Amino acid sequence: MQYQMNEFLFAMILTELEDAVGKENCSTRAIDKVTHSVDYYWLSRMWADRGCRMPEADIVVCPENAQEVSKVLKIANYYKLPVTTWGAGGGTQGGAIPVCGGIILDTKRMNKIYEVNTDGMYIECGTGAIYKHIEWAANEVGKATMHYPSSLTCSTVGGFLAHRGIGVVSTKYGKIDDMVLKMEVVLPNGDIIETCSAPKHAAGPDLNQIFIGSEGTLGIITKAQIRIFDQPEERRFRGFLFQDMTGAFKASRELLQKFKPSVMRLYDEAETASLIKKIVGVERKGAFMNIAYEGVKEMVEVEEKILLETFAKYGAEDLGSEYGEKWWKEKITFFYPGHMMDIPQMFGTMDTIAPYGKIEEIYWAMKAAIEKEFPQAKFIAHFSHWYEWGAMVYDRFIIEGKDVPQDPVEALRLHQRVWTTGVRTAIAHGGVVNDHHGVGIKLGRLMKEQYGPAMQVFEGIKKQLDPNGIMNPFKLGL
Amino acid sequence: MIMSEKGKQHVDSCRFCWMCHHICPIGNATGQERNTARARALGISLVNREAIELDEIMDNIFECGCCGACVKECVTGWDPVMFTKETRLHAAMEDKLPDYINALVDNCLEKGNAYGITEIDAELKKAIAAHSAKTDLVLFLGADAIYKAPECAVKAIKVLEKAGVDFTVLENEPNSGAQLEYLISAANETKEVMNNCAKALNGFKTVVAYDPQDAKVLKREYKEWDIALTAEVKTFTSFVAGLLKDGALKAENNGKKVVYQDPFQLSRDLLETEEAREIINAYAVCEEMLCNRKDTMWAGNILMREWMADVMDKVALARIFNAKCVNADTIVTASVSEYVSLKSVESDVEILSIEDLILG
Repeated sequence: MQYQMNEFLFAMILTELEDAVGKENCSTRAIDKVTHSVDYYWLSRMWADRGCRMPEADIVVCPENAQEVSKVLKIANYYKLPVTTWGAGGGTQGGAIPVCGGIILDTKRMNKIYEVNTDGMYIECGTGAIYKHIEWAANEVGKATMHYPSSLTCSTVGGFLAHRGIGVVSTKYGKIDDMVLKMEVVLPNGDIIETCSAPKHAAGPDLNQIFIGSEGTLGIITKAQIRIFDQPEERRFRGFLFQDMTGAFKASRELLQKFKPSVMRLYDEAETASLIKKIVGVERKGAFMNIAYEGVKEMVEVEEKILLETFAKYGAEDLGSEYGEKWWKEKITFFYPGHMMDIPQMFGTMDTIAPYGKIEEIYWAMKAAIEKEFPQAKFIAHFSHWYEWGAMVYDRFIIEGKDVPQDPVEALRLHQRVWTTGVRTAIAHGGVVNDHHGVGIKLGRLMKEQYGPAMQVFEGIKKQLDPNGIMNPFKLGL
Repeated sequence: MIMSEKGKQHVDSCRFCWMCHHICPIGNATGQERNTARARALGISLVNREAIELDEIMDNIFECGCCGACVKECVTGWDPVMFTKETRLHAAMEDKLPDYINALVDNCLEKGNAYGITEIDAELKKAIAAHSAKTDLVLFLGADAIYKAPECAVKAIKVLEKAGVDFTVLENEPNSGAQLEYLISAANETKEVMNNCAKALNGFKTVVAYDPQDAKVLKREYKEWDIALTAEVKTFTSFVAGLLKDGALKAENNGKKVVYQDPFQLSRDLLETEEAREIINAYAVCEEMLCNRKDTMWAGNILMREWMADVMDKVALARIFNAKCVNADTIVTASVSEYVSLKSVESDVEILSIEDLILG
């Protein structure tokens, strides 16, 4: 049934939601609606910068647990109200923006740390917990989460799960989807389910991996058991300078057949000459690469020997530990205003991933496409998450403020064109629509190009779980 | 909005930055997205762009404790406290303060304290009267202690008595201006109150400020705003630590393990972190909880209880949770405001003041 919302019905729905989560956790205040309308997505920032109001939710609700989430979703389903889940708003793809209005469901009251289990090596927490807080909890028992993205302090556990986030020590410890043992999820109809008690099994497809990366379109993850690790006895760094990236790829592929460093970051010449020069102080021509290796001291000794021998074979210049240590210290500094790109610049990270045979080709193809189609754009990149079989490229375009239209709609058009060009090029050369920032509203239109007929699998799951289409509409291409 | 160029620059830098999201004691306690530096900056930036009315953000502007955790966290040096206070000042000038803030400001100006209390607790009155004679040193108790925590004020007096200090307590102690500085920042009214206070204190060589909030204002804002205070200002903790060193106070260590709640005014604003620990370690054993010294996590205050007591309870409970995480069963405070805040919630963690430790 289609209907027109009216003041009377709105007031009725509001009282139902207040009954579900408590009056004080249900808001129609302008400040709450505005705050939940702008996330880290460039277009939302630009829109606000131009003095425009982004699409806002009608009601912001903050449930405390799965039971309250269940009540909210039952109400939303009955009235067919859109529900957009909000963690901390640090997403770059507009995944948390309530483009259709309705309800914003902010998860941050679900921030309880239920258990720090050093036998099972996990922390069980509400998904509204800021990841830094569970890192603190792990640190207090001498452990660590080993999930250290630049957004560690400003994103929730649920936010990382929703878009398949990744941290800087991923090569050794894995992505967020490798760090979850078990989850509690509220389905769109309000049912509360739990995934299997262990993440590796033969009990059919992996329920965890159906919901991880689903960006709030299939349900709301309310609780998770997150892995923790022993603190390394030793963590060492080594900086290298490669004359070309081809050598760096060959060296890295060979290294990864021997052992897994924690940090592997290769910067192209443009990024070496800009960000790395500014923050880390490397003033050399070439491609800078930082490697960290850690764990039991004896193993670290052996790994260092293997690293130096392997990289020497490919002509890498050993820059010692100084730059790597500086990089580690400043790894989050890169992202503070004043260091990071910011409005009035237009910018974006078109991260993608592919096997070794394709990743360098993708880099050059994307660089050529962006620079040809948008000569006003600067293209820089680094490769920061590596596997035995391939790597991801974190490629960014930057357009200086003078070249960005002041008119918000024109700026939006330019932004869309750049993204479409870059990501389409990545897909055409064997890359994936995104590596670790997710899809959101930004890249939803390209999901069908990525998946082709395989998209019907996602669409089928969506239709079954969310027949009214209330969950985060227009995100993930669903 | 009338705001300094520096303020506008900080607003436009913080509005799209989330990096201090984890550190706001109020945001952590409420889980509300609006209780973040970036939300406040976004709101102000939209007011500056005429996309939202000032009235619509004012409540949120007063949901900040101005503890400076976000300022400390920012590696670039952006200062959300600065633009929050500039917005309060602007609202005061434009008559846009929320009614509940206006009432507190009026109380400060008319009654000498934000709470509008005119009667002083009888026991405190007696303790003050015993030190009404003029000396070189004045113990400045502050509005929070006098009107909201008289038992703390009495204990502060007893500590100095125990050390044999010859000191004065003013029977009509003026307001330091700290409450107005928090509510309306550098308004003319604030400076007038500060000037009056300076006149009352300038007859003394030394002012020992019991409340860290007063100490911060007397030592910092008075200088920045050219308030002519000639007396030397010492924090209560640094003065008492000196008494221990001089042997005026004799301590007996009971071996009790405690954690110390650093008041942000001491640790971040005045860079004083060790004096209280010296005192605690003379009487007990000081251990550390998460976020200590300059990284301290604020535990709430008395003034904000006037309009958001429920949130102050949550802030206090969050800090008590930090103490429990390190298995502490006692928190020692050096701020009357945090002492009251922590005592206001039910918990199995014991809350002691520095004075409690000394007086036994």
